[in-house]
Amino acid sequence: MASPVMVVRLPRGPDGQSRGFDPTSERYHALAPSSIQASNNCSSSCLKEEQRSRSVLRERFLRSLITMTGKRVTFTMYEQVTVTATFTASDIDILNFQVSDLQTPLGVQKEALLRCTDIIACTFNL
Amino acid sequence: MNEWKAKKPLEWENYLNKEVKVTADEKNTYQGWVFTVDPVSGSIVLVNFIDAGKVSVATVMGHAIQAVELINEGESNTTEKLSALFMPTGTRTYSNEELEQRKSRLKSWLEKNRIPVTEQGDQNKMLCVAGVLTVSPPYNPEDCNSSNEIILSRVQSLINCNPEAGHKNE
Repeated sequence: MASPVMVVRLPRGPDGQSRGFDPTSERYHALAPSSIQASNNCSSSCLKEEQRSRSVLRERFLRSLITMTGKRVTFTMYEQVTVTATFTASDIDILNFQVSDLQTPLGVQKEALLRCTDIIACTFNL
Repeated sequence: MNEWKAKKPLEWENYLNKEVKVTADEKNTYQGWVFTVDPVSGSIVLVNFIDAGKVSVATVMGHAIQAVELINEGESNTTEKLSALFMPTGTRTYSNEELEQRKSRLKSWLEKNRIPVTEQGDQNKMLCVAGVLTVSPPYNPEDCNSSNEIILSRVQSLINCNPEAGHKNE
């Protein structure tokens, strides 16, 4: 593997004092969807069904993310860019992915944050 | 917000365990069995079974999805096959002999690193490290208990480095 490139500038940390997800931050308001898909004018049983469905889907998705950690993942991004990296973590809104050893055309970045809005798909082998 | 992301969770749930072809931005297409659709981002997780027991997983981000086409309804066993793929390794059970073996391997590794360790508990199942940390079966790094953060992290990384273990990613 190529030797890591020098870090020329450090990434900005999260806003304010919080070290994690902050629903009142400007970042969240700017980037996250203004509302999650839900039915309106629905009876309580139908809402219950919808919530059950949401939990099942989300739990499976979180499991797939856990399975992805530590693996080499290929990210297909916009403008025909493809990069590989070791997936480490995701944030709660699936807005950013933290990756290690990101192979870019410029060299290898030891740690990086990928914006999910720049990613089209990510693939890996189990 | 594109059409796919605007769907309701119940509509997404209808696609579970079916084979679909997803058309994404920039003319990318992905085909596979739907493992799940994330309700927060609308991302689809597709699974493909390549021969020789290998599995390839593709997660297509919700905001990039243009169209989803149903290819195959799937049989009854696809559901179990898919769910079994992602189950955590924590559900694995060890026999008593395997547990004994793991305990003695861990004990000798700790002693090799000059860390005082004793066996305690009923049937000597637990390992007690330096009187402040205990390790319960199945003796993985997650099974360490201690009130001292520093010792906990040191012992956990030590267990992770154990060369005899040889089963880190099972």
